Amino acid sequence: MQVDQELTKKLAKISRLDLTDEEVIEFTESLKSVLDAFSKIQEVDTENTKMSMQPVDIRNITREDTPKESLSSEEALSQTNHKQGNFFKGPKVV
Amino acid sequence: MNGFAVEEEYQEKTQGELSNLKVSVKDGICVKGMQSAASSAMLIGYKPLFNATAVQRLLDKGAKVIGKTVQDEFGFGSFCLNVGKGFTAPTNPRDEERVCGGSSGGCAAVTAQLGDDHVSLGESTGGSIVCPAAYCGVVGLCPTYGRVSRYGLIDYANSMDKIGPIAKSVKQCAETLSVIAGSDEHDPTTLQIPVENYTTYLGKGVKGLKIGVIKESKDVDEAVLNAFEETIRLLKEKGATVEEVSLPLTTKYGIEAYYVLALSEASTNLSRYCGIRYGASEPLEGTFNEYFSKVRGKYFGKEVKRRILLGTFARMSGYRDAYYMKALKVRTKIIEEYKALFKEYDVLVSPTMPNLPPKIAEVEELTPLEQYMMDVLTVGPNIAGMPHISVPMGKGIPKGFLIIGDHLQEGKIIQVAYELYN
Amino acid sequence: MNFTTDVVIGLEIHIQLDTKTKLFSSSPTAKKKDSANSKCDVINLGMPGTKPRLNKEAIHKALKLCLATNCEVAPELVFSRKSYFYPDLSKNYQTTQYEMPLGEKGFVTLMSGKKVNLTRIHVEEDPAALTHPSGMDASKFSLIDYNRSGNPLCELVTEPEMHSPQEARDFLKQLIAILSYLKIFDNQNGIIKADANISIKEKDYTRVEIKNITGFKEIERALNYEIERQKSEDVVLETRGWDADQGITKSLRKKESEEEYGYILDPDIPVTDITQEMKDACDIPEMPYEKALRIIEEYKLTEEDAHIIAQSQSLAHLFEKAIKTVSASTAVTWMRHELNRVLNYNKLELEDIELNEEQMLVLMQMVEKKELTENSAKKVLNKLIIEPVDVKAFVESEGLGAVSDKGALEAFCKEAMDANPQVVEDYKSGNEKALNFLLGQVMRKTKGAASPPELLEIIKSLI
Repeated sequence: MQVDQELTKKLAKISRLDLTDEEVIEFTESLKSVLDAFSKIQEVDTENTKMSMQPVDIRNITREDTPKESLSSEEALSQTNHKQGNFFKGPKVV
Repeated sequence: MNGFAVEEEYQEKTQGELSNLKVSVKDGICVKGMQSAASSAMLIGYKPLFNATAVQRLLDKGAKVIGKTVQDEFGFGSFCLNVGKGFTAPTNPRDEERVCGGSSGGCAAVTAQLGDDHVSLGESTGGSIVCPAAYCGVVGLCPTYGRVSRYGLIDYANSMDKIGPIAKSVKQCAETLSVIAGSDEHDPTTLQIPVENYTTYLGKGVKGLKIGVIKESKDVDEAVLNAFEETIRLLKEKGATVEEVSLPLTTKYGIEAYYVLALSEASTNLSRYCGIRYGASEPLEGTFNEYFSKVRGKYFGKEVKRRILLGTFARMSGYRDAYYMKALKVRTKIIEEYKALFKEYDVLVSPTMPNLPPKIAEVEELTPLEQYMMDVLTVGPNIAGMPHISVPMGKGIPKGFLIIGDHLQEGKIIQVAYELYN
Repeated sequence: MNFTTDVVIGLEIHIQLDTKTKLFSSSPTAKKKDSANSKCDVINLGMPGTKPRLNKEAIHKALKLCLATNCEVAPELVFSRKSYFYPDLSKNYQTTQYEMPLGEKGFVTLMSGKKVNLTRIHVEEDPAALTHPSGMDASKFSLIDYNRSGNPLCELVTEPEMHSPQEARDFLKQLIAILSYLKIFDNQNGIIKADANISIKEKDYTRVEIKNITGFKEIERALNYEIERQKSEDVVLETRGWDADQGITKSLRKKESEEEYGYILDPDIPVTDITQEMKDACDIPEMPYEKALRIIEEYKLTEEDAHIIAQSQSLAHLFEKAIKTVSASTAVTWMRHELNRVLNYNKLELEDIELNEEQMLVLMQMVEKKELTENSAKKVLNKLIIEPVDVKAFVESEGLGAVSDKGALEAFCKEAMDANPQVVEDYKSGNEKALNFLLGQVMRKTKGAASPPELLEIIKSLI
């Protein structure tokens, strides 16, 4: 697998991170060494091993369909300045 | 005070069993109305509308929160140097040129400066409770995964995050854990198993206990090894049976499996920070992709970006099977390796960190990979969700002695810890 | 895949399950009238530190749909995180199902008898509602309402087995009947959205996806438009949006490659075992298609009549009740034809009204016993679909009862004839239309309480 600046830029695009040119260079280097180290886990024989979603066995935790009180729209909007009336303001989509 | 991100008091009840208890809370654990930013510039100004359950349970008994402690941004670090812009890294109260350890560095620093009427709520994903406890010469207790509710904990890795106490004494840790632990309807990953009174394990001694010394953990700095072996001798003197055991798989692959899994989860947890609804924002210009990339590029620290890139890679199509899915299976094997030993041994022990708390200047020279490798002794119990506790050992520059128990064996590790440090 | 037909259509349908609260949080599911961001909580807003809590009623309803469509049901319910960035996603990942959908390989049988196979049915959460105040192109920002964020959805994906927009519409009609039988979808407040994949033989089956078509009437419209467009233009592999106002599809983005969703299993949500107990609790009733077949068999209705009656569970139920006291043909006439006509006239759908069963039965019985003429019955039905009147009382107060007493009818006719001697003469001298005039006079006098054919007979016999 080719770990190069192209890959770094692709990953940055997928995860919506603006990177400076220096960052691209620096991250490519650390990505190379770290991913190389990580790939070691492929040596482990996991032929008949199940995946563990959590480290302890936890299953079947659900709740009743009982409504609880909502936040007021003031409370919902309280953590941002990007709002208009009762709406959140976000960037445009096109 | 050295170690705080925000120094502010908050109390809901003034009467209660814990009305004399001061609580400092790691920045990434929500306290209602108090900035809870996980020490990231991205969350400056975020004041949660709710308390984390662990905090609430202490407040309900009259405890007083005295502030939020600084940490590595979003938990990403082992030295508490990766603090976000606008936050100040703590210095080790025992030697200000040295690091506090991370990511709960602020917790340990504050604990070291305060007395036994204080406890800090820390958090651990790969070792972030016991590492700073070891480096700062205090006690850090990380419970079984699912023992303490994660509701109100700003996520790093959902299948590995745990909240636990850092305090001056094992007793304080045991008391605090007894209060904060237990199932919580707000966190479906809490265990539906009753909580013990952990203080009943204090003073039970170690006679008759079978202790496994992890032989691979002896590959550490000389000062650490000496203190470790001295402590082993002490355990033998106190009547424990001590034998050498081996964890070859965990030692060889633990760090890699831990990071692949943790970063896969973390990179999705951090997607929500994009300049809408809460946290940092910019003027709304450009398309949504341009806006998100700008905000995230500007307000996330370097290590955060690095880990997001790594985590995104590990779950990308074409690599997902070899990295993310593989790590899920390697975790199963690591747990199996521990469980096999716990059939025979009550607890396993090792030094907490392979070195003395390094100088700040030394850490700044390390590459990212070298930094990740420092977690070699703590990732094992953390990825396996096993409870573990670090108590100071030896003299001089702080170092920690790590005691690991099987799932839900907090009592046993407290029992051994108290015997060594009280 | 080897296609041979002229048109190939596949549908991906998102159905909002009718629960009181959202999929992963206890905030109430919002109604259309709720003001923006008034039915939110810290979880559905994706606030840092919050964790999802799975709604067991949503699982129950989704499971019902899987069983009713003959799916193979997964032994476990597991959720995944589908990562992508969009202002309507509160976590910039959607909690959905990827590796193991709840149901697979089911099918829906259309009225025509054709089986449309389903690839999968899975459970996921709805994103928020996004609007652009001055239209998509002119606005500098979007407005976001998170009331909907976190609503429980069932996504149902069909195989590309439909071969015309009409067939797609028929599929949707059948699906809606199934949803209403299962009582898992709120007709008033719930939303159904579809994405459609469509390709035509002429253009080598180059596939175009049309996203976010709301409501099943729009789906047929959008597909019809798109087929014509594909015939007359170059076709590229792409995603288009349906603009309902302009009635056209518009290019959204070129589908160069699959979006990188970076799926992981969601570690915040413990696995749920799908037990036999849970399946038994679904208690699936007889489904529309099977019911139609049985009605045809037992009551000898036509295919069309049977399927239309079976579309609505309450109508079918009423039909089977009615058939005990009235003839099949009366029941079909009034419940299938007349009811439909009256609804159309008033621009209503069956789901919009609450038809009082008892009174509808009374109406049909009166018609069959000739206590009510057809004309009068139509008037009563018009009233009945608006409010649950007591039919007998209404008929009496409005004087709509059929006059069956021949003597009384003859008297009315005689009256009209006596009052219009010239008209009678006109008829006698060969003017057929004069008869209609007399009929009109009698109808007015009797307020249409006797049927025209009957009256004509009487008048003719008197002349």
